[in-house]
Amino acid sequence: MDAVLPQLITGLSIASILLLVALGLAIIYGTTGVINLAHGEFVMLGAYSAWMLQTIIGLGLLQSLVVIFLMVALLGWLVERGVIRHLYKRPLDTILATWGIGVIAQQAIRLTVGGELRYVEMPSLLAGSVPVFGVQTSVFRIFILVLAAALFGLTWYLMYRTDIGMKLRAITQDREVASCFGINSRRIYSLTFAYGAGLAGLAGALVSPLKSVSPEMGATYVVDAFMVVVLGGVESLIGTIVSSAILGQLTGFLAFYSNDTMAKAVTLLSIVILIRFRPQGLFSKKVRA
Amino acid sequence: MSRRTLIQLCVYGAVCLAILLVPTFVDNAFILNKYGRYLVFGILAIALSLSWGYTGILNLGQATCFGLGSYCMAMALKLRTVPVHTGSEGLPDFMVWNNVETLPWFWVPFHSLSFALIAGIAVPVLFAMLLGWFMFRGRITGVYVAIITLATMVVVNLLIIDQQRFTGGFNGITDLAQLEIMGFTFDAYGRSSYYLIAGTLTVCLFFALAVTKSKTGLIMQAIRDNEGRVRYFGYDVAFYKIFAFSVSAGIAGVAGMLYTIVMEFASPTFLGVSLSLSVVIWCAVGGRQSLLGAMLGAIFVTGMQGALSESEAFLDTWMLIMGFVFVLVVLLLPKGLAGAVEMLVDRLFKHEKPQSERTALSQAASQTGPAQ
Repeated sequence: MDAVLPQLITGLSIASILLLVALGLAIIYGTTGVINLAHGEFVMLGAYSAWMLQTIIGLGLLQSLVVIFLMVALLGWLVERGVIRHLYKRPLDTILATWGIGVIAQQAIRLTVGGELRYVEMPSLLAGSVPVFGVQTSVFRIFILVLAAALFGLTWYLMYRTDIGMKLRAITQDREVASCFGINSRRIYSLTFAYGAGLAGLAGALVSPLKSVSPEMGATYVVDAFMVVVLGGVESLIGTIVSSAILGQLTGFLAFYSNDTMAKAVTLLSIVILIRFRPQGLFSKKVRA
Repeated sequence: MSRRTLIQLCVYGAVCLAILLVPTFVDNAFILNKYGRYLVFGILAIALSLSWGYTGILNLGQATCFGLGSYCMAMALKLRTVPVHTGSEGLPDFMVWNNVETLPWFWVPFHSLSFALIAGIAVPVLFAMLLGWFMFRGRITGVYVAIITLATMVVVNLLIIDQQRFTGGFNGITDLAQLEIMGFTFDAYGRSSYYLIAGTLTVCLFFALAVTKSKTGLIMQAIRDNEGRVRYFGYDVAFYKIFAFSVSAGIAGVAGMLYTIVMEFASPTFLGVSLSLSVVIWCAVGGRQSLLGAMLGAIFVTGMQGALSESEAFLDTWMLIMGFVFVLVVLLLPKGLAGAVEMLVDRLFKHEKPQSERTALSQAASQTGPAQ
């Protein structure tokens, strides 16, 4: 029992970060069918925004969260307007284009800020640790968990209790018919993309005090987040949360019992097998054509 | 043979001849080695063009087969290094460092160079057949193929890094002997290696061209354009896809072997994500639906990269520019530069109708009956 509880809490912490990153990806993928390989770069840009706001203006992490969300969301909106919008009929090409955008973002950061590792200070308010069921747990990790849950709740509310959410769900079901009813699908797509990107930026800002910030940091997140989306299935918010929990626990567990490399290999292999037999994910009934 | 095919053959032949003639003008060993490397990437691009451009299988793990080929060659050359660098009884040095006592069983056959040469093609082909069977029999298409191939490559890469005792891990297999076939030594920095690569490139290019011109090649293109209809005609779509996937893997394996020869080592980066995605860029820029276009795209892009890589800042700027070019090509020129050239030629000489995407399907339907 002594070993299991800390393990569970570590897993939960990994899961909450995964959820933050994957939520944006899942919304974008579920709504527009675009596999956004630049998602990891949105995470990275969020982390760099946090670093910049802290070092240049001296703004603390907590105060800058809203600004970061808006900044990265704006960027996502521009990307959708400039590139993605022209590729909805060519899904394979969206992979390539978003990857190209990722490269551009990485190089732009490398050229302007430099390739060295950056560090973001943890808010002093959340720097300590408290015992949870007898296990010393970092307050900041608990904060991330709570925030991830809150953002999930917000997203659920947006999707199922607002006008825009209803339109979004209508488009996801059938874009043509939704358009016939006067829903401006292009506008909804742009907003969705911006919202998803903003969430990714927020995730990046939140992990920045835990991990060092570098131009390449996005790559790991996009892979893991994609796994969550594939496992959880499209158009299924519940699927996203359950699969983040599963993957988070699994990663924590595997990393504990074997080495990191093998843990990753096993996770990837299981995802490959999953895609082969259930490409629609575990928690989804309908497949997007 | 139509006039169009004849012109195509002439252009392909002329380019290959030009590549073979380069050493008569360049006498610098270092530059020849560099050009050799670009040509190897050209072969790799041909392989991807065959699967992506002609069959519509976006293989984001093209480097897997490249790496497998490269490791096969490296294992054979490692066992031939002069005894100074190896451990007791010819054990490779990294195994000695990792306390491996005897040569693992899968290393033993690599004492024979002919085995290694065959394995360099056979291992990637078998791997591709297995993966292809796994994917295409389950009718996995489109983006899922891209994701599975990418993920599989990362798994193989991680395994190679993890099994350091047998593969050299992160460092790869270094300190290799030079390739020697029937008493003739291929020096990585000599003309011999360049000719070897240029010759292989020519063979691969024309082999791939022959495949695309064959009936099978026509069906491959039809599958790319409309898989469902080809299936309704009674063709075994999965079989043709596995075929294209494996041929492409074999060519990639050949490229990998050659790359070990010019680089004089094998490393896990040879089956890395960045190389794999670079191949996609080369093909996209050059023109994925043209073997020659893809090949020249690879040579041109890597050549530029090599020329600029002397300075770190330049390289970063170059990558930034490549990112922009790539996005623009995807947006505006789905068939790459070769497609643009073709369009231009068609506009200038309007005798023959351009072979549009639809005609591949109707040709396949009219030339051949159902397979089963």
